[in-house]
Amino acid sequence: MRSLTKPTTAVLAASAVAIGLLSACSGASPEAPETSPDDTTSTTDEATSDTPQDVTLRVVSLLPGSDQAAFDAFDERVTQFEALYPHIDVEAEEYEWKATTFAAQLAGGTLPDVYEIPFTDAKTLIENGQLADVDAQFHDLPYSGDFNEALLEAGKGPDGHVYAIPAKSIYGVALHYNRALFDAAGLDPDDPPTTWAEVRSAAKQIKDATGVAGYAQMAADNTGGWQLTSATYTRGGRTQVAEADGTYTATLTNPGTKAALEFLKALRWEDDSLYADATLNWGTVNEKFAAGQIGMYTSGSDVYTALAESFGVTPDSSGLKVADYGLTAIPNEGADSGVLVGGTLAAVNIRADDAVKDAAIKWIDFFYLQPHLDEGPAVENAQVRFDNGQPVGTPVLPIFSREQYETSLGWIEQFINVPLENMTGYTDVMFDQPVVGEPSASTQEIYALLDVPVQAVMTDQNADIDALLEQAQTQAQSLLDEG
Amino acid sequence: MTTTQTSTMQTTTAAPAGAARPLARRRAAAMDTLRGVLSIADWRRRSVRTGMGFVHVLLLLVLVVIGLGPILLLGKFAITPTQDILRAPLEVFPNGIAWDNLHKAWFDVQISRYFLNTVLIAAGAWASQILVAATGGYVLSVLRPRYAKALQWMVLATLFVPGVVLLVPLYLTILDPPILGTSLLNTFWAVWLPAGASAFNVVLMARFFDNLPREIFEAARVDGAGPFRLFWSVVLPMSKPILGVVSVFAVIASWKDFLWPLLVLTKPDLQPLSVRLPSLQATTDLGVLMAALAISTLIPILFFLVFQRMFLRGAGLGGAIKG
Amino acid sequence: MTTDQGLVPTRRRRRTPVDWIREGGLSTLLFALPLIVIFGVFSWLPIGRALIMSFQETNLVVTSWVGLDNFRSVLADPNLPTALRNTGYFALLALIFGYPIPLVGAVLMSEVRRMKGVYSVLAYLPVVVPPVVAVLLWKFLYDPRPEGVFNQMLGWVGLGPMPWLQSATWAMPSLVIEATWAAAGGTVIIYLAALLGVPPELYDAAEVDGASIWRKVWHVTLPQLRGVLLITFILQIIGTAQVFLEPYLFTGGGPANATLTILLLIYRYAFGQSLGADYGEATALSLLLAIFLAVMSLVYFRLTRAWSSS
Repeated sequence: MRSLTKPTTAVLAASAVAIGLLSACSGASPEAPETSPDDTTSTTDEATSDTPQDVTLRVVSLLPGSDQAAFDAFDERVTQFEALYPHIDVEAEEYEWKATTFAAQLAGGTLPDVYEIPFTDAKTLIENGQLADVDAQFHDLPYSGDFNEALLEAGKGPDGHVYAIPAKSIYGVALHYNRALFDAAGLDPDDPPTTWAEVRSAAKQIKDATGVAGYAQMAADNTGGWQLTSATYTRGGRTQVAEADGTYTATLTNPGTKAALEFLKALRWEDDSLYADATLNWGTVNEKFAAGQIGMYTSGSDVYTALAESFGVTPDSSGLKVADYGLTAIPNEGADSGVLVGGTLAAVNIRADDAVKDAAIKWIDFFYLQPHLDEGPAVENAQVRFDNGQPVGTPVLPIFSREQYETSLGWIEQFINVPLENMTGYTDVMFDQPVVGEPSASTQEIYALLDVPVQAVMTDQNADIDALLEQAQTQAQSLLDEG
Repeated sequence: MTTTQTSTMQTTTAAPAGAARPLARRRAAAMDTLRGVLSIADWRRRSVRTGMGFVHVLLLLVLVVIGLGPILLLGKFAITPTQDILRAPLEVFPNGIAWDNLHKAWFDVQISRYFLNTVLIAAGAWASQILVAATGGYVLSVLRPRYAKALQWMVLATLFVPGVVLLVPLYLTILDPPILGTSLLNTFWAVWLPAGASAFNVVLMARFFDNLPREIFEAARVDGAGPFRLFWSVVLPMSKPILGVVSVFAVIASWKDFLWPLLVLTKPDLQPLSVRLPSLQATTDLGVLMAALAISTLIPILFFLVFQRMFLRGAGLGGAIKG
Repeated sequence: MTTDQGLVPTRRRRRTPVDWIREGGLSTLLFALPLIVIFGVFSWLPIGRALIMSFQETNLVVTSWVGLDNFRSVLADPNLPTALRNTGYFALLALIFGYPIPLVGAVLMSEVRRMKGVYSVLAYLPVVVPPVVAVLLWKFLYDPRPEGVFNQMLGWVGLGPMPWLQSATWAMPSLVIEATWAAAGGTVIIYLAALLGVPPELYDAAEVDGASIWRKVWHVTLPQLRGVLLITFILQIIGTAQVFLEPYLFTGGGPANATLTILLLIYRYAFGQSLGADYGEATALSLLLAIFLAVMSLVYFRLTRAWSSS
């Protein structure tokens, strides 16, 4: 396992400098005790009324198998945090949110104290009483009122208490493309497709000219349903409607979903431009894209961070190079079309006691939120990542406000090493796109259901789309009715 | 998870009708005790010799291609650069050899650690199984207390329960074991302890002990040996063959085990190869992944080649189950 | 019954605990302890628990009794017929591919005069390869692109590239081929061992009757192997009914649930839903499967007892 307990002298030196920076900046978080690194024995403690007891905090780090450099960057941040809060001992674990294993971990109580969950799961976990109520600790944060309300809602229980905090990767689904393949196919990388028809013809051109699949679709582990829902939104459809009486109705047979499936069918069987693997999930489609085997695909707008951290996209990799990465807005067509947004919340394990909860909030504040709010932490975080060759500056949707986001980008401008100039297709419109949240009821289960039509269309030339959607509709409705 | 047993083959068949035959001919035929279907006379015929020879060569070819082929391919992929694996998998190193893959697999992907886990898990599972099967068989077969019959039936009953039924409740038992109070999840004990509950092993041992000559036990008892002495100094030394068989089964079963470790060892640090390798698929370069797979296969294969006889003897007695 | 420990003469009066210890009861118990504890905690207890849980609804946070509800919803699950069909399909294909071939192989191998060891080793080698390695390797070999290894080989004989795992029709056969490759060697060795146990006198007697090679196989070899053949048949059925690894690793049950098996469905109930894991339904389905297999085995042994006169 990546060594967490043996910081090298270089890391220690770096963190000393960083801590110096932090204490020098007046914008240090009020949550941090007013001690400097050489004053750890201070007995005056303004943050809490009694000496904080020693706490071990288990947190999540990165995807299993990520680059060593990414882990090094993370370890540095941990060291900085521990220097700030000497009574907290952080233990980090690799973590991948997979619908299939999360349940076992949750039931087994082996989830860390602070872990990450997608927006879609928060409500259910709260209802099941599986998340700790961190409302009190949350409201102690001075900026608790500055959050984007819509995002905060995702982590609130029916009692209005906060159980999970918007933490990172607030994304809108966007279109990712391989600029080198565009070049090779005779397409202009600075003029990516803006309608689905253009996507289709670009995919075909890439396939014909280079033999590489022009487009790919995730289809397994609930990601098929996730992307199908996103594709539905972009065509003006919705997969679910909330009724006035609090119940939900599934609307899977809407024209948008059908059009999305027919699009896939055409790409697969008429154009032969679809990457022919119906077992792709979020991770493996990234892997194939990073290996240069895919021309375009849709996924969260912030996927670049993962591509660089965990899937081997570097300035000189043999597959996709940094300069070849392109990001543009997902095509939006028709009235009511919107972009699916989601994100990751930080949750605290239900078994955490108050001391652990306190420590957890401090960690969430330090690691996830501070870099957005204060220049000092922002620079520190960016510096660490930059020094370890990790991506800085990937476009994400703001947790707080647009102004805050743009200000924070200004602070770290010198560290930004992602090819922003290749992402203008998305960044130019990201705040103006109409956004639609993920469906709120039985989300993951309906995503799982929808994996089936997606896989069927990709593997069976004669798949009957109407029948598949009818079947999914019936099953989805019964899920909504019971839950 | 559990293996089931084949009973020793005692079925007989009414032999094809045979009236009195010329004694000399029968005697000559009976002298060839090593024969199979074909007799010496059969082998003398040219057509049989060439026919069988041809068939055997064909069989050997098929076995090499099918049995050895994929393994050799794996070895080749292990040292081929990823792009070559993807573009020209069957060509012979068009762009040179990537010894790097092996280095990366061992150090970056840290196959060594998962390999160690696999070995530790196998060792503990082996110990657990030997302990339970040997002592259990001893009680059922030699000591035979009053409750032996009941015990035997209860053990046999578990043979008929497919592993699937145990999956969920065993998982919950691991989360909250009786007496202990702390969860065994993410400890090797969660794999070691349940491994011992193999009715197959117990029955094998008990049967074997049944066939040991009782006179030796009597003699030892007369000499004043208590049950412990009897077990340790008399029964066990005579049981080396069956211990070998059970050991081989135990190690192979543990090495292959996938679903159970997947459930109870969620911390990557503790996972054996079988659990860890699939989760590394997406984030690992294909060439390096192949190298990792190859390294994982090397030891079982070497182990097998060295202990061939024991493997094959043991495998012949027990059952090999698909799925 | 009397114990085998004839050290102590039987007494007329009631046995006391001291007697019991003196008779060696304590040491016997000590010997039995590993068996009792391990089986008790990790076999009998879970079985009992499974029975109970199938009548409960729980996700570890909240538990309640729901009677036969779990069984009802399991039987009503539209995925169940699919899983049943797929599992049956796998078992059937596995039987067709994997049952006769090892037998033929074993018979041929038993006639080998020299280098018998080499044949056995080659046949058993795939069995030794860890299943996860085999599946991941074969997943790559099954690459549906024309450059895929198997597709290239098909190209050598003029056949077009096959979709293998990417087609609802071919996914299951692909799984069966790999599963057979991995397990056939074990069956071959079993048959080989049994073949060696055929008394040579029977062949002698048959030859004296003028039997040809083929008749010898038919009338001597196969009947002698009857016991083994019957056992391996039922064991194979029981084993393939519980297939999990191949569908899980190769296709995750796809494409479009074409390789969803019963075990995979149980796994999904218990561990596959990110929230609200349904252990009750999982155990209910496990029990149904167990009962089915038990009944089937009983019927099988009844039937086959009529055939083999043991």
